[in-house]
Amino acid sequence: MVVRESSRSRRFRLALATACAAGLMAGPASLGVATAARADSSSASGTTLRVAMSDSGVDTLNPFTAYFNGALDIFAGIYPTLTSIDEQGKPGPYLATSWTLSPDHLTWTFKLRSGLKWSDGQPLTAADAAWTLNLIMTNTVAGTANGTLVSNFASVTAPDATTLVIRTKQPQANVTYVSIPFSGIPIVPQHIWQSHVADLKNDKNDSFPVVGYGPWVLTGYQTDQYAKFDANKSFVLGAPKYDHLIEQVYKESDAAVAALKAGQLDYINGVNATQFSALQHSSGITTAQAAGDGWTGVEVNPGARTRSGKPIGTGNPALADPVLRRAIAEAIDKKTLLAKVIDGQGQVATGYLPPAWSQWKWTPSAGEEQPFDPAAANQMLDAAGYKKGADGVRVDPKTGKPLDLRLGIHSDSANDAAISTYLVGWLQAIGVKLTIQPMSMTALNSDLGKGDFDLLMDSWTTGPDPTYLLGIQSCATLPNDDGTGGNTDAFFCDPTYDKLFNQQATVFDPAQRAQVVGQMQDILYKADVDQLFYYATTKVAASSKVTGLITGQETNGFYPAQTSFWSYLKAAPVAQSASASSGGSGGLWAGVAGAVVVVGAGAVVVRRRRGADDRE
Amino acid sequence: MSSPATAAGPVTAAPAARPRRALRVPRPGYLAGKLAAAVVSFGVTLVIGFVLFNLMPADPVRTMTRGRPVSEAQLAQLRIQLGLDKPIWQRFLSYVDDILHGRLGYSWEYQQSVASLVAQRLGPTLLLMGTAFVISVLLGLWLGMRSGWRAGSLFDKVTSATALTLWSVPTFWLGMILLIVFSVGVGPIHGFLPTAGMSDSSLPQTGMTHYLDVARHLVLPALTMVLVVYAQYVTIMRSSIIEEKGSPYLLTARAKGLTDDAVRRRHALPNALLPSVTMIFMHLGGLISGAVTVEAIFSWPGLGDLTYQALTIPDLPVLQGTFIVFSASVIVMNLLADLAYRFLDPRVRAS
Repeated sequence: MVVRESSRSRRFRLALATACAAGLMAGPASLGVATAARADSSSASGTTLRVAMSDSGVDTLNPFTAYFNGALDIFAGIYPTLTSIDEQGKPGPYLATSWTLSPDHLTWTFKLRSGLKWSDGQPLTAADAAWTLNLIMTNTVAGTANGTLVSNFASVTAPDATTLVIRTKQPQANVTYVSIPFSGIPIVPQHIWQSHVADLKNDKNDSFPVVGYGPWVLTGYQTDQYAKFDANKSFVLGAPKYDHLIEQVYKESDAAVAALKAGQLDYINGVNATQFSALQHSSGITTAQAAGDGWTGVEVNPGARTRSGKPIGTGNPALADPVLRRAIAEAIDKKTLLAKVIDGQGQVATGYLPPAWSQWKWTPSAGEEQPFDPAAANQMLDAAGYKKGADGVRVDPKTGKPLDLRLGIHSDSANDAAISTYLVGWLQAIGVKLTIQPMSMTALNSDLGKGDFDLLMDSWTTGPDPTYLLGIQSCATLPNDDGTGGNTDAFFCDPTYDKLFNQQATVFDPAQRAQVVGQMQDILYKADVDQLFYYATTKVAASSKVTGLITGQETNGFYPAQTSFWSYLKAAPVAQSASASSGGSGGLWAGVAGAVVVVGAGAVVVRRRRGADDRE
Repeated sequence: MSSPATAAGPVTAAPAARPRRALRVPRPGYLAGKLAAAVVSFGVTLVIGFVLFNLMPADPVRTMTRGRPVSEAQLAQLRIQLGLDKPIWQRFLSYVDDILHGRLGYSWEYQQSVASLVAQRLGPTLLLMGTAFVISVLLGLWLGMRSGWRAGSLFDKVTSATALTLWSVPTFWLGMILLIVFSVGVGPIHGFLPTAGMSDSSLPQTGMTHYLDVARHLVLPALTMVLVVYAQYVTIMRSSIIEEKGSPYLLTARAKGLTDDAVRRRHALPNALLPSVTMIFMHLGGLISGAVTVEAIFSWPGLGDLTYQALTIPDLPVLQGTFIVFSASVIVMNLLADLAYRFLDPRVRAS
């Protein structure tokens, strides 16, 4: 009796398992049809552009508190800004069509377009812009992400619907960069947000569709999965050519590349050198390189100190000697790093500001370029009294200790690992011992803040306005005596540099400002505190079924730096021949066959079991 | 964990094969002891969790705001906002206070409550891990039983070798290979499975189409998980079946004229299952923590990936919150395993 009961329940379980397995196999089969329908990247109504979301992801959709690039990409598509950035990297029209500056250099008057409407039909006027900027200026939470950009604003007013007046406390040359897509301040609709001010910190901004204005309307978002948009066909800078946009999260860049090859994705902004080299030869895929908007290099601790001059941290004191820093710089072969680490996809770095923004281009004067010259580096060190010990490692004449330096690298970066192995060999050739210390980015940041480093791998990117990147080299960013309040990049501090930094902020002629910025880059170049190796290009890959994603004219093999704002707006589907993907139906039949096999096998097993029970 | 046969000897083991199945409620003292032990170990893990995460060298504020124009004053403000300016013992007290009040904290990165983040990820995590778990247990136990019964046969050799090979393969590599074969397509195989996420955002997010869509997205991540982990069930089941195989009570069963198949299933299997049950419960507790690698390859929005992301900042409230959930799950499942074992194996009750 007992036996029979348990055998029946076992049979039931077996049948259940068989059904589950069959269901699992049938899953792909029944949706094979859906795959086929989706393969031409068009959904029920119109065309869809599918792009990989920036790999930093989205922290929050709240435009006042978000820091991550994924979020900034979304804001660029759904919220307007005062100006946009043209293909030369200079401010161009968006909400504002023109702007003037008063003779005292303190009052900016922006002329805004009339007749624009938010996505819910309410008028978009200068009052919205004034309200947004005022909120960021006066409300600490609203200033979380972008407060620094308006810290020099005295007042922002909207005398009428198409006029915005910004008064600054001190003359400020970069006002036209303050509200640009992606890296600037997004303007939000006052009629929506004014009731949210009280609880701004907790505002997730997730009632869809999100009311805004831009080339796209955000219609759906799933944390760490996707964001989806509908096109705003009446967008003032031109209608998007696609009807829908989907930003899909790929946590693993190799998976994104696979998706591009599988036709499930149309565009990846930012593949690595290996992926790029492989994709260049893939059919159905277009690749391009944009001039790099950042550099990779190493920070050398020049003697970390606080704002009042108190030394802090555990940096090796020998690195305070400019001779040693220069010798290290000349011992490093940047050309080899460029060629071997990133397959030559970039340029050897000199100036602190990257080539993407050609208006800030600076190159060392003739005769002042730092060559790769280990022999000269050795001579320099010999002359400065760094004698070699028995083990070939030089000794610091001031402390009598061997030059045994730490090199902190990002543990998750293959490039850092490759670079560091080269550096160890090159520095050994000039009698400096390097010990590689792989760390998480956050641990590196922590060591950096406390001055607990000798050399650290570092890289920075910047938008078209260089103020912030220049700022982190100023003395004002050194920490307080208690170690807090610092934001310095590498404890660099030079009064001449600081004077020029304040000066460039008030020079209104772009060429003149570039000249001052050039002098600053010259100082940084000669200080050897941030030793820059290369500017890696931004590498993009797109499906050949899409055109327009890569904007601008190619020069020297590189396209101008581009943001998602223009790429997604200008992307257009190529008229395609009706080549239906057979993948879908292939999957369907494979699924059906699999299901039949599993069900059949299950049935046989069940029958056999039943027979066995009967025999007992 | 010794097998029943060696622990108690074949003579007593034979009647144990078919005990009275009535559920015996454990003595209150036993239950209280186990509960107290669980509470203590939970308390200890909480302290360990806090200490580990807070001693980690890190600068969350600079890491979070990296690349954005944020002034020193704003950084300092943010440190105060996140409570990072307070001494560590004060942070510990507020952490304990939060836990006692059932609060999991507020994520620095996502700027929403950790409880809501965990709740969002719980479904996807359990779906992926649960599916993979059920399939690998069924598959592993079945294969282990068959190959153990005929140890040394061709079936055994092929099964064991395959399982162990897959067990030794790096998850990341296997996942990428499956992705390339079944999503991109290789040679005659056309890719037909999705590469990322758990649903296609251009399809409706409700109804039958959605469920089928999710099932389709589930195939590759679940398959990767199964292939990598099922070997442990195969090996443990195989070895316990081999140990049972020589027991005299099986001879008795055969003497009754039962088929080989019936002897295996009705008599050997129940005893051989005991070590597997322990292992199943242990793994059940860990399911909730997800699988970082698989979630990363297939961009599956699970708790493992949430934890990994939080670690890079580090987003301490998220780390502490998920750590609490994970350890609670493991401890509860171990407690259940203890109780279930008493139920399944009468000798544990007696001792």
